[in-house]
Amino acid sequence: MPDRPDMAAAVAAPPLTNLIRSGGEMFNWTDTDGRDNQLLTRLVLEHAGPGRTVLVAGPHPDGLVAALAGAGAEVTWLLRSLIDAETAARAHPGITVLSGAFGKADLTGGYDLVVAAGGIQRLNSAEGDQLAAGELLDRLAAAVRPDGALILMHDNQLGAHHTVRLDPGARHRDDAAWHPSETTEGPAARSQLTAHLTGAGLVVDAAYAAFPEPGDPAVLIGGVTLGDVTSPLRPWLRTVLAQAYTVAFRGRPVLSDPRRLVNRALRAGAEETVAGGWLVVAHAPGDTEPAREWHDVLVSDVHGVYTPDAAEPGVTGRVDSLVRERIVNPVAADRLEDRLLELCAAADVRRLRQEIAQYESWLGAGPVSGPRALADLSDLGITADGPVVMSARWSPAEPVPAQIVLVRALWQFAVRLITWGRPHPWPNTASAADLAAILAGMAGRSLADDELRAAIDLQVVIDSAEFGLGPAERQAHRLALLAVQPGTAPLDVAGYHELTEALWRQRYQASHLLAMMEWNEQIIRSRDSALSKMDWELQLLRRTWGGRSLMLAKRAYKKVKK
Amino acid sequence: MHHANHHYGHAHILARYCNIPDAMHPPRIRGYLQHGWNIGDGLAPGTPYVSGAPLFVWSEETRRRSWSQGRRNVTVVGAPFAYLVEMAPPVEGPGEGTIFYPFHGWEGQQVHGDHQRLIDEVLETETGPVTACLYWNEYRMRNVRALYEKAGFRVICHGYRGFWWRDSNRDFLVGQLAELRRHRRVVSNRLCSAIWYGLLAGREAAVYGDPMVLDNADMTFGGEPRLHRQWPDVYGKQTDFATCHQLAREQLGADELAGPAELRKLLGWPKEGYV
Repeated sequence: MPDRPDMAAAVAAPPLTNLIRSGGEMFNWTDTDGRDNQLLTRLVLEHAGPGRTVLVAGPHPDGLVAALAGAGAEVTWLLRSLIDAETAARAHPGITVLSGAFGKADLTGGYDLVVAAGGIQRLNSAEGDQLAAGELLDRLAAAVRPDGALILMHDNQLGAHHTVRLDPGARHRDDAAWHPSETTEGPAARSQLTAHLTGAGLVVDAAYAAFPEPGDPAVLIGGVTLGDVTSPLRPWLRTVLAQAYTVAFRGRPVLSDPRRLVNRALRAGAEETVAGGWLVVAHAPGDTEPAREWHDVLVSDVHGVYTPDAAEPGVTGRVDSLVRERIVNPVAADRLEDRLLELCAAADVRRLRQEIAQYESWLGAGPVSGPRALADLSDLGITADGPVVMSARWSPAEPVPAQIVLVRALWQFAVRLITWGRPHPWPNTASAADLAAILAGMAGRSLADDELRAAIDLQVVIDSAEFGLGPAERQAHRLALLAVQPGTAPLDVAGYHELTEALWRQRYQASHLLAMMEWNEQIIRSRDSALSKMDWELQLLRRTWGGRSLMLAKRAYKKVKK
Repeated sequence: MHHANHHYGHAHILARYCNIPDAMHPPRIRGYLQHGWNIGDGLAPGTPYVSGAPLFVWSEETRRRSWSQGRRNVTVVGAPFAYLVEMAPPVEGPGEGTIFYPFHGWEGQQVHGDHQRLIDEVLETETGPVTACLYWNEYRMRNVRALYEKAGFRVICHGYRGFWWRDSNRDFLVGQLAELRRHRRVVSNRLCSAIWYGLLAGREAAVYGDPMVLDNADMTFGGEPRLHRQWPDVYGKQTDFATCHQLAREQLGADELAGPAELRKLLGWPKEGYV
């Protein structure tokens, strides 16, 4: 709820000529408008242009509206919050702002482009009638002029982001939840959504599964790639989606790590089911048919938006000692990390040694430069000719010693084995540093403490660039990375399931340590006793002739007895 | 941590392999090392096990069986004998005659059987000179030793495996490897470590004759009848070397051996250069 309005400021403010109260506007209310999303902005801008009329329905990131206006479009922005509408009208004097409930706005003139990238959840106002999901979709479709387009994001109630939510009391804390989203009727699957829009007279051009969350998508998968487990893009998609979910859920408490769920869905070809939402691009039939090709996959990362079939350079430049990089090379049928995880689960140490030795020889002996120096094992694909870098976002500004490159990659894999609770063939009491040393040993390398520290420092540099960590966060991150032991929970996404798993491991470890203490006590007592006896024998033998004679006699007796 | 880690000089061989400076006094192994070929969970029956401690077994098959028996911290490292073979320079020639290992008991369990009938069968089957290798306690039994000597066998003993870190023959396996290589065939009346060792050392192997009976034999894992069923290839007076050699490699984990740096870490030993 916003602060009490300042009456004097309100009276003194100039009138807003570009603001129209269309009825049902909410007073003393504001919606959050979310972060700017590069992917949505790019998609929307492709459909806008000078002179085209655009309706932006509901709250959206301010940057999206500014970009549309900047591209010369005639923008109308519908907002239910009067405060938000006034702010928008003031910030964008060139656009028209409608303030009110979506159901009350006059949209009969139609638009060349209707954008509802924020979904339909925030179109109804607390005032007046509450339109059902179907009615809202129908009205959006009806607002599209012939040859115009609709860009709509629809929340997936079965999405991983809902499934893993751990936010007790959220509904009671959410002022907008007068009709909770889960009780809203409406399309509950991508096919239902496209069928509804088709029924409303639109032609669906593209229907993407959007990840990780509908409010801030980073990966769109559609076309024939969606659900195709034989697609050559699939191993690469695992890495891309894992990265997207890491960025989105880093530091957020969740029921269970969404990356596991999404990875399993990808393997099953069921990613559509767990997607955060579905992004549909549809057009109203008119005189001309839109003739364009749709990319199957669109990805947004820290450097910008790209597609795997036409990797664009994105933002360039340096961050600390790293150079921004854009490698998209989805050529391998399998990722090295997946291969190693499988071999670990199967306890196939022989093949593990082969794979790690091959990786080590691929790195070479000299300093390593370029993307391969910082590639995680999940970034590497396996081909008949050896490993290849499938994806990379960073390169080192200066070459990195091969030993540090190897140690960082293997240590990071060890961290994942432990924190993900994955099975491996080595003692389950081993720390990440122990496992890294064992893995390096498999490649015939020994691992010095300072090398491990250098590798962890390198990891901190990479994570800092990726997640924009400040100095205090870097130090905390470094300490957390140094301390990965059995029983350490994942360091990035705090899943309840993973935390309870870590707790179980800690108890296992503690009970083992207690048993060890007891055993050590017994052994010390036993060794003390043995030492005492031997000491007594030695004293006897060394100091007295009688003792010597006695020992000789004892030996003689034993011999005779045999 | 358990004194059985030092049996047969196992810890000493691994220390040598890992370039531990004083390999004759190896550091403590942080866990339990399987000390004999085993059809159970890798631990000798009755071993007092510290809950959660690492168990280092010889083969992947033993690791799986161990897991099935409730062990959760099991790692395959391979048999110390396999490390010894790796380190020992190869020898020329196929060797001569046969080395015969009568099935033995141990300090806590004696075997019962007819040694003479066994000797007769060996003499009837083997063509060259025969060496009988007795376990240390049978070697000390004059009457048993005399039976073999009387039959014209060369009678030897690889020594005492040690107890509670005392009196161990640290070169037990070194001597055994030398003896195995000296002969063309290795024979026993029961499938045991020595048969697998002989095969790994490149010698023909055969298991035949009265398997004898062990005092209070533990049949939890199937005992002697199971050996016949599971490894029939090594039974009989003539066996196929290639098949049996491959079985030995699997049972001794000869293709799973860790590198020195890797093994140091697994056993909880200091890194090279750190003491």
